[in-house]
Amino acid sequence: MLFPSVQFAIFFPIVLALSWALMPRPFLWKPFILIASYVFYAAASPTFCLLLAGVTVWNHYAALLIGRTERDRWRSWICGLAVTGDLVALGIFKYYSFFAQSFAREFHSVGLGTPFPLLTVALPVGISFFTFQAISYTVDVKRRLIEPARLIDTAVYLSFFPHLVAGPIVRAREFLPQLASPRDPEQVAVSSGLMLIGMGLVKKVVIADYLGRTVVDPVFAVPQAYHAPDAAIAAYAYAAQIYCDFSGYTDIAIGLALLLGFVFPQNFHSPYRATGFRDFWRRWHMTLSRFLRDFLYIPLGGNRGSTLMTYRNLMITMVLGGLWHGAAWTFVIWGAFHGTCLILEHAFGGKLKAPTWLRWFVTFQLVVFGWIIFRSQNVSELWTFLKRFASPGAPTLWTAPVIAAILATIAPQLLPERPFDRLQGALGRLNPILLGTSLGVLILFVAATVASQGVPPFIYFRF
Amino acid sequence: MDRFDRAHTRRFSGRQAIVAVGLAAAIVVVCSGASIRKAGEEMHAGIGRDIVLAVGRPAAWIANQLPLHRTSHTLTAWLSPDTTLTGPGFTNSADAGASTAIPPVTPDAFVPSQLGAPPPAKQQLHTLLVTGDSMSQPLDQDLARSLASTDVRVIREPHIGTGISTTILVDWGKLSTHQVSQYHPNAVVVFIGANDGYSMPGPNGKQVNCCTALWAAIYAERVRRMMNTYRQAGAARVYWLTLPTPRDSSRAKIARVVNAAIEVAAEPWLAQVRVIDTVPVFTPGDRYRDSMTIGGEPTIVRQSDGIHLNDAGSSLAAKLVLSAVDADFTR
Repeated sequence: MLFPSVQFAIFFPIVLALSWALMPRPFLWKPFILIASYVFYAAASPTFCLLLAGVTVWNHYAALLIGRTERDRWRSWICGLAVTGDLVALGIFKYYSFFAQSFAREFHSVGLGTPFPLLTVALPVGISFFTFQAISYTVDVKRRLIEPARLIDTAVYLSFFPHLVAGPIVRAREFLPQLASPRDPEQVAVSSGLMLIGMGLVKKVVIADYLGRTVVDPVFAVPQAYHAPDAAIAAYAYAAQIYCDFSGYTDIAIGLALLLGFVFPQNFHSPYRATGFRDFWRRWHMTLSRFLRDFLYIPLGGNRGSTLMTYRNLMITMVLGGLWHGAAWTFVIWGAFHGTCLILEHAFGGKLKAPTWLRWFVTFQLVVFGWIIFRSQNVSELWTFLKRFASPGAPTLWTAPVIAAILATIAPQLLPERPFDRLQGALGRLNPILLGTSLGVLILFVAATVASQGVPPFIYFRF
Repeated sequence: MDRFDRAHTRRFSGRQAIVAVGLAAAIVVVCSGASIRKAGEEMHAGIGRDIVLAVGRPAAWIANQLPLHRTSHTLTAWLSPDTTLTGPGFTNSADAGASTAIPPVTPDAFVPSQLGAPPPAKQQLHTLLVTGDSMSQPLDQDLARSLASTDVRVIREPHIGTGISTTILVDWGKLSTHQVSQYHPNAVVVFIGANDGYSMPGPNGKQVNCCTALWAAIYAERVRRMMNTYRQAGAARVYWLTLPTPRDSSRAKIARVVNAAIEVAAEPWLAQVRVIDTVPVFTPGDRYRDSMTIGGEPTIVRQSDGIHLNDAGSSLAAKLVLSAVDADFTR
């Protein structure tokens, strides 16, 4: 079920009303929100509800066992087994076809047969997100950061519909304490929630889908048909599209959670304002960055070893982070590209004295270049796209609405943050009735911009 | 934890949250109730559709009783990215099998080679339209990439989620006319049918469910109208791909009927309409398979949904199309 869909527009008001009605009675509210979340998930892929339930039960009992085990060595083994199980599930559903095809090609080239059956495996929506959250729960129990939760709490945590299919990746220690007692019905950030939902709809439906439809999809589909100026605008348009698409989804998810009385962590903080790659990853998909930092980079040794070991850890983290986005070599290259930039920044960043604007400019151009790698369907198409920059010609896609949409996405991120915060604070104090009415009118206008084929799925649904 | 949960953020009550969201929903119902019903009608049969229609029908009724939906439409219509389609559509089509007259057989029904005649001289390909539903993606990209180095103008126009048996999202009767008048293609590639299987109005106005012979006849009638539009009285060539057998047995049943209807629909104009049968290539014996051997190399050719072709499969389909196009055109 997509957030910007009629089905969800029917689903959410009913769930919201029942949720607050049942909230004072957690023994009713928890089963209710669990069922609602599974209904939400079943609308996308009913059969994969079993997978979600399986991941929940697997991690719940692993965490329980860890909680009852005193010896650290045994706790590590159980945790390792649980995480391996999660990664096996993720690997089968997300990467099987990719690796089976890659191995088949390599084996064939040396005259050997296909080592694995060449089958397609359906990708369960949100698997990358809920398996990561499950891992974070089990590992945090192992690290004694949280106590094992009750099964119903683990199930609600992993399936809570606002974050189920595309994050943000909420840590168990952020969410489970919110389940410990009923949410206060007099302390709901209603206006902030409504504002975020409205903002997210505009970002996704009006800006991201428009740029995708008019510039990004045509150019990336057939780069051969375009020259350098159009390739350039397509790259910047994709930078704007992916930001609006994903941060739009996150805004809606955070807004919905706020209306239900829950708080999610921030996932974006003006990423195109970054003046370096470390800065970028502190601002872009922040919940994934901290997951990779806490569960991969630091366990690998982080920056505690030699400089070379630090570089190795950075590269492994970024390559696996790239692969997390999808089963394609372009994601691996994208991860390696970011890893390389982080290493170069680590090595030379302190030695080079450059004005802030120049550091921002270089970082932004490199990030946009990275998006070209990310968006290309395969390595051959990436190469074809890059070659277009050497093909001069007249721009055909540089229209005023396209440029306005790109600027409207990027320019506000470069302006001072305080006035925006103040504006946001002021809007957050507005009467929710007024904001509810405004949201209704906004939905009418946003819906009018949707093409007859409907709203395309969020980009991060694929990951 | 979050910048939206700061201490100074003003708090309201859960009741106010419900009222605010309810108000937003009420505005949508009053101003745009009919679109909720339409969204339900676009969905495939199932409990989700039933629920949306249960809300959408009264919502549409409420909206129709009030003047606000017209005002709302006037204020927002300019934002729509869709082109308004005019002309005769399928909803106005003549009923299949209603005519008792025997249709004339014309020379267009014969491929010259069948008659032992030399093939007609090849024309220059100038505009190739690639269209259809989601099946036509990424076939459209493959064809466009293959022809990028030539002077051929490739128009890619996939209409995702549409079908010939449903006119709610797009009426292909109107759309095909619009495409021809807008682009004047001299070759048209059509790959469609993944979403078909909707019931259609029959000869007496009653809904005919898939997949009876009558349904196949109505479907073939619609396909034939599109083929006739695309072939532009013989001035253009049409390359219509059949559906490779899907994995799901219920969808395979629909695909079989759709493919049979395509073959029948093309019969009057075999001189201009080429049916490119993908079944023997991708699913020989009408049996689904994920992978096959291409160039001696085992390759996955289907997407994980078991319906669509993946990049490798689509690339192979593009080769089939291009070889058919090259038989008729120079480029």
